[in-house]
Amino acid sequence: MNDKRSLLSNGAAIVRRNKRYVVWFFVLNLALASMGAAAFRLHAASVLDRSLYADGVLHGFDLGIFVEMLSRPEFGPMQASTVPGLILAFLFFVLTLIFLPGVFLGYASDRRISREEFFRACGKNVWRFVRLAILFAIFAGIVGGILNGIQYALAKAADKTSYEKLPFYVQLISFTVIFLALTAIRIWFDLAEADVVITDQKAVRKSVGKAYRQTRANLGRLFGAYVTISVVALLVLTIGLVIWNVIVPPASVWGAFLIGQLILLLLLATRFWQRAVAVSFYSTAVAETPVEKQPAPVNLTAAATPQAGGI
Amino acid sequence: MILGYSFPTKEVPPMSPRKPVVLLLLTVLMVIPTIAQNAGPAFSIPNTTLAINSPTPLSPRVVHYEIDAKYDAKTHGLDAEETLTYHNLTGQALDIFPFHLYLNAFQPTSTWIRETKRDGTRDVTFEKWESKNYGSEEIKRFEVVGQGDLTSQLQFIQPDDANKDDKSVVQVHLPKPIPPDGYVEFKITFHDQFPETLERTGWKRDFLLGGQWFPKVGVWWHGAWNCHQFHGATEFFADFGVYDVKLTVPQFEMVGATGVEVGNVNHPDGTKSVSYHADDVHDFAWTASPHYKVYEDNFQGSMGPVKLNIMMQPAHLGQEERHARILKQTLDHFERWYGPYPYKTLTLVDPEVGSAAEGMEYPTFITGGTNWWMPKGFYLPELVIEHEFGHQYWYGMVATNEFEDAWMDEGINSYTELKILDDILGPRTSIMNQWGITMGEREMQRLSYISVADLDPIARNGWQYASYQSYGGISYGKTASILLTLEGIIGEDTMRQAMHTYFMRYRFTHPTKEDFLKTIEEVSGRDLRWYFNQAVYGTEVLDYEVLKVKSTPVDWYKEKFKEKKGKTEYESEVIIHRKGDFIFPVDVAIAFDNGDKVREHWDGQDRWIRYSYQKKAKVATVEIDPDHKIHIDHNNFNNSDLAERSEKPTRKLTNYWTFVTQFIAQLLAWWMV
Repeated sequence: MNDKRSLLSNGAAIVRRNKRYVVWFFVLNLALASMGAAAFRLHAASVLDRSLYADGVLHGFDLGIFVEMLSRPEFGPMQASTVPGLILAFLFFVLTLIFLPGVFLGYASDRRISREEFFRACGKNVWRFVRLAILFAIFAGIVGGILNGIQYALAKAADKTSYEKLPFYVQLISFTVIFLALTAIRIWFDLAEADVVITDQKAVRKSVGKAYRQTRANLGRLFGAYVTISVVALLVLTIGLVIWNVIVPPASVWGAFLIGQLILLLLLATRFWQRAVAVSFYSTAVAETPVEKQPAPVNLTAAATPQAGGI
Repeated sequence: MILGYSFPTKEVPPMSPRKPVVLLLLTVLMVIPTIAQNAGPAFSIPNTTLAINSPTPLSPRVVHYEIDAKYDAKTHGLDAEETLTYHNLTGQALDIFPFHLYLNAFQPTSTWIRETKRDGTRDVTFEKWESKNYGSEEIKRFEVVGQGDLTSQLQFIQPDDANKDDKSVVQVHLPKPIPPDGYVEFKITFHDQFPETLERTGWKRDFLLGGQWFPKVGVWWHGAWNCHQFHGATEFFADFGVYDVKLTVPQFEMVGATGVEVGNVNHPDGTKSVSYHADDVHDFAWTASPHYKVYEDNFQGSMGPVKLNIMMQPAHLGQEERHARILKQTLDHFERWYGPYPYKTLTLVDPEVGSAAEGMEYPTFITGGTNWWMPKGFYLPELVIEHEFGHQYWYGMVATNEFEDAWMDEGINSYTELKILDDILGPRTSIMNQWGITMGEREMQRLSYISVADLDPIARNGWQYASYQSYGGISYGKTASILLTLEGIIGEDTMRQAMHTYFMRYRFTHPTKEDFLKTIEEVSGRDLRWYFNQAVYGTEVLDYEVLKVKSTPVDWYKEKFKEKKGKTEYESEVIIHRKGDFIFPVDVAIAFDNGDKVREHWDGQDRWIRYSYQKKAKVATVEIDPDHKIHIDHNNFNNSDLAERSEKPTRKLTNYWTFVTQFIAQLLAWWMV
């Protein structure tokens, strides 16, 4: 319990110390989404901006008026409004993949790393992270696919009974199991990512293997920390949406924007907290583990350049 | 109580008074069996009132069905003996009788399945055919009392299409016609195989909804038999009468049905027989499931007490009072606004979830639709219950032809549904009022209409719509919307009075569309043909728009001219455009930036109209139909224009969309890296 708490508090301390990463990723997230929403804004404006009827979606949220807006020819096809946003959501994932090595490096360091160190780490590890993402997708796909198949079969069997709530409970339990299984795989690959960056490991498979052994040996500890943070994220989302609904007046665009962005900022922070937990665990547990051949660690002091600005 | 006897006189040989008495007696003794065998025994339709709050029958009773049915819960099969007494009130001799065999529609080559596969329906798409979808209604023996066994004479007919594989209507030609005002008795032995519910009828797990399950005679209407095949988008049409039905089911089943329960007897073989009696109805449906939890309530109607039987699924316990509340509120509204509910019972069935039997109406017996998690602000149960109860009036008592005039039951019912739900739950929140999201019934009906606005007229046979979506959008949505718009022409109170008059005048009859339209004209005292021709018989689309709004300073040409609010004189121009072909008089409200307001009325005859004003103010807003009386406008957004754009609604929605895409992006990044 103490271990878990220290993992959580160490992780939280790392995130606190490196708040700028969360902020920058949040700004990136917001900027990309704003760009992605430009088409939607343009199309909606062509229907709403000169109509008194639009009042129904401002002072409240009249679903009928919203649906009618979507169905108007001048709004255009739904894809024209939504696809750009989804493409830029994917771009956020890609950019996260690219910049995350720098974050791991920053989290592993007990000082503020320079901008050059940050981007060097990103550049050096980008292909490794792509490979890790592919490997994660394969493992998660296999495990998730199998569990989803089992879930489907169980739900189908449950549907044959007259106990109406049973299919729901089966699905709820199944989704929880799938979530936990994917979380375990995520822990494994977060450790692998930390290993790749911190030890400058070129052979990704070695980091994956090492992270697997560490995850297996310390699953309870890591799992507890990750699930706790996930629960925090869920609470942030739920409480945030309730506050949004209860406190923010329907016509307050700024109020909705602020509460919405606060929710998203905190959600983003929880994921960074998990990554910080992985780095914290790696820095203590893995460093203490005797290994046959210790990879050469990154020389952070040497890599830093006096003129480079911190990031 | 027996009404009387009717003997076909030509079957009885006349007796000569000159014959000796013995010969006479012998002759009589010889003739009586002949009468009994050939002319048929005494038939009648009972004039019972056991199931209604009325001392006398309410309908012209044409049929009396007596059915003794045994249901096998394992095979979902049913064997039954049906005795149908038919009273020929057509005014002419009848020798042909068509019967509906609705369950035969659930066969892969039937018209119902073909149309359903082609157009889709509410509940099924038929990605693939499965044996459990199969249903059948097989007549084992068909006897006409006094005319013998005519089983071999039965012929499947297809009055609506050329699909020879459709067996949903069967016809028999009687050797001896039934004279006007005569009676005929059919004795039919049949076997049903219920399908897993595809729509309305059948089984799901251990639940059964027995709808359209017995051979049912067609309706003689406007000088001909009206007995359509079962189509993907049509419902039913039948004559009023009396039903006495005995259902034998396993003892563990809870049973509910049309009418009042008059007997419940357990048998040593583990079955029980539950008997029902119904007066002045035109159909009989029943349900059985071992799981029902029955909740009873009462409603004091204007004609007498009504017993409410609410048969809930166990998972929905806790919602029984919600069901009872909306049912009683609906009954109360119908009684006050349209007319009395005369039956002694109303059974509300909460069917098995996923059974495709949800939301259906039968006389004194309706099915609702809910889920175990239904939030209080989602008014789906209220909507379904109100709608299905409404059919007790618009179908149950005002028994229109659902095949040919679907709008007269579904559409008129949708109109009264939105009026009543608006009154109970609020006009903008009668569908949903949850988490700050709202939706009203009138908007929902209008949306379903405008999605198919010019495809079909309302006045169209139910199976001849372009698609199932069009059937729904036009017969439900358009009808509700045009009747709501009609209120704007004749007034809400007049409209309600017209609906009341229509109900009272045509209950227990089969009115036509013109009966309905003429009643409205009569009560309102107005010639509404211009409206009905477009709205009911036509496909014209109504769409008015504010085409142009411009305010130009009168002195714009002068040198050193400078605009000053309140001092500069403007020439303002507003053009209203009738984009659609539907001609409708409209009001236009023009507001100026100094607070002045002008209201105009346009007959809409021309394609556009220009309004000009010279004022020391610019036009701020223009709105067509400012009182929101028109509910069939194809585009409500272009009904107004603002001199200055208002971006707040757009910003609000864009903010929502930004939030959603940010969340999706984070979720992707959360898991993948």
